[in-house]
Amino acid sequence: MNLLHPGARVIDAATGSTLSEADVAAAAEALAGEKGAVVFHPISTTIADIARYLAAVRLGRPVVLLDPDGDNAHWSERFATDEVHPDLALLLTTSGSTGNPKLVRLSAEAVRSNAEQIADVLDIGPDDVAITTLPLFYSYGMSVLNSHLVRGATVILERTGIMQRDFWTAAVEHHVTSMAFVPYQYEMLRRLRFDPAKYPSLRKLTQAGGRLRTDLVTDFSERMATVGGSLYVMYGQTEAAPRMATLPPARLAEKLGSVGVALPGGHFEISADGEVLYHGPNVMMGYADTAADLARGDEMGGVLHTGDLGRVDDEGFLFITGRIKRLGKVFGVRINLDDVEKHFPVTAIDGGDKLVAFALDATADEVRELRTKISEWLGTHSSGVVVRSIEALPLLPNGKVDYRALESSL
Amino acid sequence: MSTLQQLREAFRTALDLPADAPVDDLQYQDNEKWDSLAHMSLIAALEDEFGVMIDTDDVINLSSFQEAIKILGKYGVDISE
Repeated sequence: MNLLHPGARVIDAATGSTLSEADVAAAAEALAGEKGAVVFHPISTTIADIARYLAAVRLGRPVVLLDPDGDNAHWSERFATDEVHPDLALLLTTSGSTGNPKLVRLSAEAVRSNAEQIADVLDIGPDDVAITTLPLFYSYGMSVLNSHLVRGATVILERTGIMQRDFWTAAVEHHVTSMAFVPYQYEMLRRLRFDPAKYPSLRKLTQAGGRLRTDLVTDFSERMATVGGSLYVMYGQTEAAPRMATLPPARLAEKLGSVGVALPGGHFEISADGEVLYHGPNVMMGYADTAADLARGDEMGGVLHTGDLGRVDDEGFLFITGRIKRLGKVFGVRINLDDVEKHFPVTAIDGGDKLVAFALDATADEVRELRTKISEWLGTHSSGVVVRSIEALPLLPNGKVDYRALESSL
Repeated sequence: MSTLQQLREAFRTALDLPADAPVDDLQYQDNEKWDSLAHMSLIAALEDEFGVMIDTDDVINLSSFQEAIKILGKYGVDISE
């Protein structure tokens, strides 16, 4: 599979260097000399690392995208093998640091079709210029890269973030047209009093990585409208390579709270117990727990059980109403709430991009200590964890914790 | 507590640093704990602690402890022992 359209450009904002066909060819040559079928690739936002990724994909070598700042030895220990399924192209991790993380197995077909589907609905063309705002090992960051490369657009590599001067300077200098953010970055942009008029080329903001509060959806949609631009609310999961739905900006006000309609070629179905099922060409082949799983073929048949509860209106707009699995998100990173409860003496719930942990009769010192320990364990900033002392947990008639009551107490 | 001590405390809390960590020479790029999330906490802490509203340009220019002293100075906050 070749993701690199001949017209596509990748420019490193800090160094000015650009990705060339020769870079990809050199990376391919280097890969040819490496043993094992699987390429374990801690990917930084650099020309060299993108060249290696594209080379692996082009050679049909399954590539595992990893956090360059993470402890990655266990991945190659668990998943090194010579036996891989011919359709397998890309492997992404499912969660942050907790539990026993699995890999999501994505075929070349899934990656390619999702890049095209996204490019279609966001109308990405050769004149588009994206800037990196997310790590490339994260499915959303990867999909921004892929969907621009396949359409011959430009991607600006910027290793700083929205809280730093260099990022905004690069956005102006390179005439950036599109930026992708997760919910907590929208909170930051609001704090920065983000004004799109300062970036004359900017036309598209996209949002994925969890639910964005509807007041922020309206706020940023209105801010973009003042410059003739749009906010695209989107819905996805790594398991869908990753995008499943986009809310057309023209319908945003009237469908506020919806995550949009299924991408072209995909559709939603609500199961008898209310779960959102997605059908489409971009659904993963399955998970991998062991190296042997990398030899397996497609086990999903193009259907993804999302674990989300939802409803679809008569025009096909999806509204997410809850979750089946006990999952939370902290700054866009998925966490298993049951795992938190196994490791710490707390009852954990999702507080909207924050973890809220209730500790029985905890002193102020204990609350502080728990907060530090839990955030260290999750590998996140402590502002993503809230610990509260509680006298007694609300219980259901069957004696189990009443999580709904806890959630409504927030 | 002097304003300098208050500022050091605000940095340690926002960056999840130990109570005795030296902070006077901190730079955004050099410290792995000083990421965008920590930066947002830091700005909120400075605004609360010193009762100021920091402008967008100053938020993204605040790239070191010493720069924080200068920027707070612009808002009439004197940082001293």
